[in-house]
Amino acid sequence: MDSQLKTFEVFHQSKRGEPHMHVGAVHAPDAELALHYARDQFARRLPCVSLWVVPSEQITATTPEEAEAWFDPAIDKSYREASGFPMRDIVKRAEDWKDGDKKQGGQVDL
Amino acid sequence: MNDAALISRLLALADDELILGQRNSEWTGHAPLLEEDIAFSNIAQDEIGHALVWYTILHEQLRQRHPDRLVFWREAHEFRNSTLVELPKGDWAFTIIRQYLFDEFEKARNAVLAQDVYQPIVDAVGKIAREEVYHLMHSRGWVQRLGDATDESHRRMQDALDDLWPPALGLFEPIEHDVEFSAQLDRIQRAWLDAVTPTLTRATLIISPDAAPIFGGRRGQHTAHLTLLLDEMQKVARSEAPDAVW
Repeated sequence: MDSQLKTFEVFHQSKRGEPHMHVGAVHAPDAELALHYARDQFARRLPCVSLWVVPSEQITATTPEEAEAWFDPAIDKSYREASGFPMRDIVKRAEDWKDGDKKQGGQVDL
Repeated sequence: MNDAALISRLLALADDELILGQRNSEWTGHAPLLEEDIAFSNIAQDEIGHALVWYTILHEQLRQRHPDRLVFWREAHEFRNSTLVELPKGDWAFTIIRQYLFDEFEKARNAVLAQDVYQPIVDAVGKIAREEVYHLMHSRGWVQRLGDATDESHRRMQDALDDLWPPALGLFEPIEHDVEFSAQLDRIQRAWLDAVTPTLTRATLIISPDAAPIFGGRRGQHTAHLTLLLDEMQKVARSEAPDAVW
């Protein structure tokens, strides 16, 4: 018989509004005690406002072996990335347009 | 309110926490699970922290000796803890039952102390009660889990309760010189019984109906267990002169 208790993955929120981050796992007989243990192990030395514990078996995840098939496109699909639109330029043009419009009422090429 | 009553009361409060904290720290490195080792060491630290809160009031408000002197340089007969907390830690069932009975006692007692006329006690209870919520959740949770889990856990829990009930009743021993607080003990005990009885019963544990309380701790009458505990706890400090700077 396996004498190990089941594991729970621990997610920790350091400040309201921040996402919960995965910080590790604890062994526990049930979720209530898992939360208790998570506090002592993951909230003692870091600021914390919220903890989640999830039984590890409840998490469905991709495997490292699958990662290439799932996430690595066979052909170039860099058009999906947002890197073609430098934000700084856009913001500057919008600010210039705002000022220009007030003075001249002219058109602007975005 | 006279100083003798306050000093007596505060020593009882402080010594209970110190001795229980010391006993609980004996599980560090030996608890049944790694996570429980960490959790229980945390609880033991809290208790010693609470003891320090009480010793600090004694020192700063009531001109008693420095907390280090009170902790490391008093003899067994000068301590005012209850017998319950000085008993050896036993097995996990024993530790959990003792912890649970004490945590419910603290809750009932703190409710009364929160109404005290002496402001330093009221302020201290405010801080301490917050951590105690967590302690009680932990010990009560274990009572519920172990009371009826397996034949072995049930037997160990029942044996522990049989052994611990008489010293637990000793928690309600009157405090020397402190008539005012001692008068509240009946009320505290009733609140305590109202809390522990349903929890223990639901965990399928039986309370001994005719147990007699074990008194003496509040008057400095202790078992040999306290002497052994103090030998270990005070050994390092006493290896140097009392006024050594650490």
